[in-house]
Amino acid sequence: MLTATRSHAPSSLQWISLVTAAFLILPTCYIVYVALTAAPTVWSRLWSTRIPELLWNTLSLATGVAVTTLLLGVSLAWIIVRYEFPGRRIWEWALALPLAMPTYVLAYVYAHLLGLGGPVEHWWQTLMGPDARLLSPQGFVGVTLIMALDTFPFVYLLVRGALLNLNLSFEEVARVCGASQWAPLRRVTLPLIRPAVAAGLALVILYVISDFGAVSLLRYQTLTYAVYQQMTSRYDHTAASILSLLLVVMAIIFLVTERWFRQRSRFYQTSGRYRSATRRRAGPMGTAFLTSYVVVVFAAAFGIPAAMLIQWSIEAVSQGALDARFFGFIWNSSFLAALAACGAVIIGLPLAYLASCRPSRLNLACLQAAYAGYALPGPVAALAVLVLFTQFAPVLYGTVVVLLVAYIVHFLPVGLQSMEPALQQVTPNVEEVARTLGCTTRHTLRRVTLPLIRNGFIAAWVLMFLQTMKELPATLLLRPVGFDTLAIRVWLEASEEYYQLAAPAALLIVLLSLPALLLLVSKDWRGRAQEVVS
Amino acid sequence: MNGSAPHTQSGKTTATALEAMDIAGERSSVLELREVSCAYEPKRPAVEHITSTVHQGEILCLLGPSGCGKTTILRAIAGFERVTAGSIVLSGQLVSSPNVMVPTEERQIGMVFQEYALFPHLRVEKNIAFGLSHLSRTQQRAIVDDLLTLTGLRGLEQRYPHELSGGQQQRVALARALALRPVLLLLDEPFSNLDPDMASRMRQDLHALLRQTKTTAILVTHDHDEAFSMADRVAVLNRGRLEQFDTPEAIYHVPTTPFVADFVGQADFISGVVANDVVTTEIGDFPNTRHLATGTNVVVMIRPDDIHIVPTKGANAHILARQFKGSENVYTIQLPSGQVVHSSESSLSIYQTGTAIALRVVATHTVLFPQPLDATTTEQAGPAAASPP
Repeated sequence: MLTATRSHAPSSLQWISLVTAAFLILPTCYIVYVALTAAPTVWSRLWSTRIPELLWNTLSLATGVAVTTLLLGVSLAWIIVRYEFPGRRIWEWALALPLAMPTYVLAYVYAHLLGLGGPVEHWWQTLMGPDARLLSPQGFVGVTLIMALDTFPFVYLLVRGALLNLNLSFEEVARVCGASQWAPLRRVTLPLIRPAVAAGLALVILYVISDFGAVSLLRYQTLTYAVYQQMTSRYDHTAASILSLLLVVMAIIFLVTERWFRQRSRFYQTSGRYRSATRRRAGPMGTAFLTSYVVVVFAAAFGIPAAMLIQWSIEAVSQGALDARFFGFIWNSSFLAALAACGAVIIGLPLAYLASCRPSRLNLACLQAAYAGYALPGPVAALAVLVLFTQFAPVLYGTVVVLLVAYIVHFLPVGLQSMEPALQQVTPNVEEVARTLGCTTRHTLRRVTLPLIRNGFIAAWVLMFLQTMKELPATLLLRPVGFDTLAIRVWLEASEEYYQLAAPAALLIVLLSLPALLLLVSKDWRGRAQEVVS
Repeated sequence: MNGSAPHTQSGKTTATALEAMDIAGERSSVLELREVSCAYEPKRPAVEHITSTVHQGEILCLLGPSGCGKTTILRAIAGFERVTAGSIVLSGQLVSSPNVMVPTEERQIGMVFQEYALFPHLRVEKNIAFGLSHLSRTQQRAIVDDLLTLTGLRGLEQRYPHELSGGQQQRVALARALALRPVLLLLDEPFSNLDPDMASRMRQDLHALLRQTKTTAILVTHDHDEAFSMADRVAVLNRGRLEQFDTPEAIYHVPTTPFVADFVGQADFISGVVANDVVTTEIGDFPNTRHLATGTNVVVMIRPDDIHIVPTKGANAHILARQFKGSENVYTIQLPSGQVVHSSESSLSIYQTGTAIALRVVATHTVLFPQPLDATTTEQAGPAAASPP
């Protein structure tokens, strides 16, 4: 029989997303609360000593890395999408490989390569004289380069996706309107890929702000590193909270700006025929130039570090590093990462769905709340989750659950970044036609919306799996006693400069990330993604 | 549907109860729109006071320029838009009113969207069978088979939507909508994404198919040729209001408003004055069908196929332009007063621009409207049709 409905009452989905958002924002609120109720003397002490230096270090590093990844990411995506040259298909996915290389792995390899008495310095001094210094991995330029080499694939992948989905007609129209050859690039193509660039840079900057692995190994004082130091060596949770508050404020300002910017330049697919741009075939000189550019970036970000890891691993294995303990670490890492990624996709779905398909003020606010977690640096997320659990669910203290919650709070934004565009592909008509065919809202979700967004969600899962595999500070602070992961082993041994001992675990993290990464950039995946939008 | 009073959770007002009794008295009407208004913004209604009825097996066309609200009506019938006033009754049951909103999936309607909205992740076969998931696999198979034959899609069942041409995509959308044997099929500009040759063939096919399956359908279009060739009755809409609701022939020959007259085909409006029992105009006298008082200023609508031209030396009117349309020549003629009329001549009658001509007017379908006349608004003009003699 027919039933009447009212569309104004909040649906159950809406309630779920509200509760999820509250749960995700709780740790952030707790940190803010602790910081704001701190004694004024603690504040003034920090303002007069640490804060100015830490702020400057953090902001300049974020800016430096953002500019570098922008240049690297956009130029590489452009080369890969618009030019045809021998080896292009290999480079196309090879350039995503640095995503499998955690910052602390890259940092520890470069600390050795560029460090005092390292091979690069040795080579430089034979060339330039015994007192020459090329660049220190502990300085601003060194840290910036290392971080940028590790994070540029975020920009590269997102911009490449946008360029592949860009309808050529836009550029042709600009040409027909009398624009010169380069004007369409500036006036049409770049504005159209701006949302992808902004989204990629958002990922990069948040990543830099909350990175702990590289800065801790390179001893570069940023806010995040300082928070960890306050917690572990001084046990000063109040000071840690105050420093965290600064981070949270910075991140929120940035997130709001980015959102606003993306809302304004939100673009839609053209209706009718979709055509992608044809690739321009590069001549011999062009090929040499393009290939050498791509090779240099790839070698620096992945090739050389991977070669070093392999060499060290062989040495370590011959010394008997592969024992039962080692296989335990492997299981711990992959188990945690898979659980966290699944949990995050399930939790992120209602948030991203409502924000994309019913973008009311409330739903957008819920989504923003979910992004707050990424702004919490690993140590802070760990601290907040830990204190909340000891307060409300002490039974779970010291279990994997606490760790999983911290992972989800921390890494959900990475997944949301790819879930949202996927959901935006679901047009209202496709959902409406399912309704005319007798589907309820729930059936429509299961039979139409979910299959359509599947690829975007696979991408989200992969990204979150990768991030969790590499996660260091929260794991350091929250792991159950004796529950070491691969990442923990790498960091512990690299801190002591046992490069060979750290290598097998580091290499394995990289290798375990590879199949997931291949999935992300494989032809099949891209083909289906295009099929859905065209 | 059982034709009893509609079961609604909020049918408490007397008005609803009365409506329900009224509805139960109607037979064979599949859809009834009663004074329906919809508004996206409270102050600016998208459609207002639309009343019409669709009978079993009938094909109705909603015709109007873009932005006239025809798609809004379709979406209100489908249950995608709320009505702000009035009610929609489907198969004798109240489905939409300001406080009743039966969800789309319970309305038993089929819909073909302008962009077809095929599910990109499903093969043709699965697209068609989408709404049949409550049936067994063999039953699904049988229905899909029938529809593949009916729509001429046999052999394409394993393709994905992006591997089909526009016409094929449209037929898949149609088959998918028909699979559930909807009580009413809604088609939103179904031919607008096809090239013209293709569209006219698809029109004939669709018409035959709807007749064959005895499907009741509402088709939205901005193309009067399409409306005339498809519809049993046409509802002409302008600015959210119903201008005229009648058979295609009546709409063309006896338009009730200047808007309709102009929209459904080329029409000229010639000013005239009532004298005795005739209307005197520059191109001749017409019967005073509205029995207006002598001295009243009126305009006469006349269509190009009622005006014929004969080249005559020394005549006052002359040819301004000729437009060759293949099957006919349309001449633009300037009268001595400066007024312009059009004439449709055979494809082979070719005269030079500037030729002096005499007019022969056959007043089979002229219509009178009182002045002043504004072809785009209709408030001033009431029903003023002159019956063909």
